[in-house]
Amino acid sequence: MKKIIPMIGLATAFLYGCNSSAEEEQHEDLMDADWDEVISQAEGTEVSIYMWGGDDGVNRYIDDYVAPALEEDYDVTLNRIPMDAPDFLSKLMTEKQADQETGTADILWINGENFRNAKNNDLLYGDFAFKLPNMDEYIGDEPAFVHTDMGTEIEGHQVPWGNVQFAFQYNADMVEEPPTTIDELIQWSIDNPGQFTYPNVTDFTGNGFLRHILYDVADDPAALETFNEEWLDENGQEIWDRLNAFEDSLWRDGQTYPESLSQLDQLYANGELAFTMGFNEHRADSLIEDGVFPPSTETVVLEPGSVSNTHYLSIPFNSPEPAGAMVAINFMISADAQINKLDPSMWGEGTVLDVSRLTDEQQEEMEAYIGPPVVEQEEILAELDSKYHDWIIENWEREVVQQ
Amino acid sequence: MTRKRKLWMRLTMLSLFMLIFVAPVILMFLKSVSFGWSWPDWRPTQFDLRGWRVVFGDPRIFSSLWNTILIAGVVVMLNFIIATPAAYALSRFHFRGKAIIESLLMLPILIPVLAIAMGLHLTMIRLGLTDQVLGVIFIHLLPTLPYAIRVLKSGFDRLKNEWEEQGAVLGANSQTVFWTVMVPLMTPSIRSTAVLVFVISLSQYVLTAIIGGGTVSTLPMIYYPFFTSADEAVIASFSVLFALLPIMFLILFEITLRVYLRVIKRP
Repeated sequence: MKKIIPMIGLATAFLYGCNSSAEEEQHEDLMDADWDEVISQAEGTEVSIYMWGGDDGVNRYIDDYVAPALEEDYDVTLNRIPMDAPDFLSKLMTEKQADQETGTADILWINGENFRNAKNNDLLYGDFAFKLPNMDEYIGDEPAFVHTDMGTEIEGHQVPWGNVQFAFQYNADMVEEPPTTIDELIQWSIDNPGQFTYPNVTDFTGNGFLRHILYDVADDPAALETFNEEWLDENGQEIWDRLNAFEDSLWRDGQTYPESLSQLDQLYANGELAFTMGFNEHRADSLIEDGVFPPSTETVVLEPGSVSNTHYLSIPFNSPEPAGAMVAINFMISADAQINKLDPSMWGEGTVLDVSRLTDEQQEEMEAYIGPPVVEQEEILAELDSKYHDWIIENWEREVVQQ
Repeated sequence: MTRKRKLWMRLTMLSLFMLIFVAPVILMFLKSVSFGWSWPDWRPTQFDLRGWRVVFGDPRIFSSLWNTILIAGVVVMLNFIIATPAAYALSRFHFRGKAIIESLLMLPILIPVLAIAMGLHLTMIRLGLTDQVLGVIFIHLLPTLPYAIRVLKSGFDRLKNEWEEQGAVLGANSQTVFWTVMVPLMTPSIRSTAVLVFVISLSQYVLTAIIGGGTVSTLPMIYYPFFTSADEAVIASFSVLFALLPIMFLILFEITLRVYLRVIKRP
C-alpha cells in the first residue's frame, strides 16, 4: 500500500504534464484561428457561466433570453452556475495549484479587485477581448473602461458587459425635500436622526458611498485620477471628520452598520430607513414592480456626481470550452443582447455599447426601455483605483467606528 | 391550587413553544405569498405567488432537489455504516490511546471548514473526486460523522451490557443480538442521528460549492445567493421549501423504523 500511493502520485503528475502541453497548443491554435473557425469549433459545445445568482431578473435574462438565443444561433448550450466571485476564484486558485488543466468554468462574471486578483494570479485565459468581432463593431478602443478596471490594466483579459451608475433611492413619503448634494444629505440625516445609514465599507456599495465622499472632499476630481497617497495624507482627516460629524444621527446612533447592501435594502423596504443606495441607477424599477420597494421610491443622483462602475466577462485559464465561451461572450455584447438587457422587467441595467455605432432603430429601442437618462453625462465620475477601495477598508473601522 | 398552577405552567410552556418554533414558520410562509408586506401593516395586504414562481421557475430546481435528497440520503446511510462500529468500540472497549482517538474523531467539527477548504479541495482534485456527486457525498461525511459517532456512542453508553449478554445466553448469535436487541433499544439514538445528519448535509454550502464545483447543484447552491438580495418573498419561499425537506425525511424515516420494529417483533 505504501508503495502504491507515490506511484499514483507520479502517474497523475505525468498525466497532468501531458495534458498541459496539449492544452497550451490548443490555446495557441485558438488564439490564431479566425472567427469563423472559432464559431465552428464552438458548435455543439456546452458552456458554463459562473455568476452571482441572487437576482431573479438577472437570472431570467440569462435563462430565458441569452441561453435560448445562443442555442438557436450558434448551437451552444449555456449553463448558468450560481456562485459568488470570491468562491469561484478560490476554486480556480486551488485548481491552478493542482495543475488541473481542464476545469468546469468557461465564463466568469467579475470586476474590480476580483479581476485584479484573478489576473495577478494568472487565473485568466489571456488576451482574447479584441478577437471578438462585436468588440470592434460596437464598443471600440476608445472608452477608458476597455483598458483599465479600477486601476488594473485589462490587456484584453476581460470584456465589458455592463455599465452602472451609483444612485440613491429615497422614499418620497418620508423625505419631503430630497437633498441634491452630499452636504444636504448629511444635513438631512442630522435633522432626521435614525433614518439614514450606509453599509459597512467591506460591502461593495458601502465602499462606493465612501468613494463619493472622497470625490466630494476633492475640489478637483482629477486629483483622484490615479492612486494619490499624498492627497490622502492631506485630506484623509477631512473625510473622517465629515463622516464622524453625522455618525450619531445614523440608524441605531451609528453604533452598528448594515453588513451588506441587502440588509440596507431590507431596512429600507420595511420602512425603517428613508434612503438606500446602490450601483445601477435603474435598479429601483424592478424592485418596485416586485413589491420589494415601496411604490413611493424615487432615484436621485447627488452632487458631486455619480461614480460609474463597469462589470466584465472573462474566461478562466482552464476553461474546457474556450471557443464556446468566446462565441457566448461575443453574443452577450451584441446590440440585441445589450438592448434586451436594458429591459427593466428583466435586468434593466446600462449598456457598454457605444450608442453612436448603433442604427437609429436600435437607438430608439434603447430609449423605449430606459427613457431619459437618470444620470446626466456631466454628472458621471470615473471609478477610482481599487487601491482607494483597500485604503477605505483599512482605515474606516479605526477612524469612524471606533471614534 | 397546585393543579391550577400546573395547568398554567403547561399553557405558558405551550404558548412559549408555539411562539419560538411555530410562529416563525407561519410568518415565513405568509411572507412568501405576500406582496409588498411591510411595517406598519400587521398582516399581508396583498397576496402574490411571485416568490414561489421564482423558486420553481429556476431551470435547475428539480434536479437540485433530487441531488439534495440523494446526497443527504446516501450520507445518512454511510454515517450509520461507519459510525456504528466506531461508536460501539468507543463505548464498549477500553484500549490505550482511546481518549486521543475520541478527540481526533471530534476534530472535524472543531476546525472551521474555511481554514481547511483549500487543502481539502487540493486533495480531492488529486483523488479525482471533484465536480461530481460522489465527491460531494464523501466530503459531507466530514461535518456529519463526528456528530453521528457522538450520538450513537452515548446511545451505547446508556445501554447496559446485560441486554446483549441476556440475548447471548438465550442462544442468539451476535448478528441476531444486534438486529433484534440492540437496534430496537437504540431507536431514539438512531432517530436523532438520522435527522441530525440529514439536516447537516442539507445545509452544506461551502463544501458543496468547492468540491462540487457548481456542477453538482443542490438546493443551497441556488438558494443561498438570494440571501444577498433584498427580495424577502423569494428568500421566504426557498426557506419554506428548505424546511419541508427534513420534515418529510423524518416522516419517511419514522415509517421505515416502525415497519422494521413490527417485522422483528413478529414471532
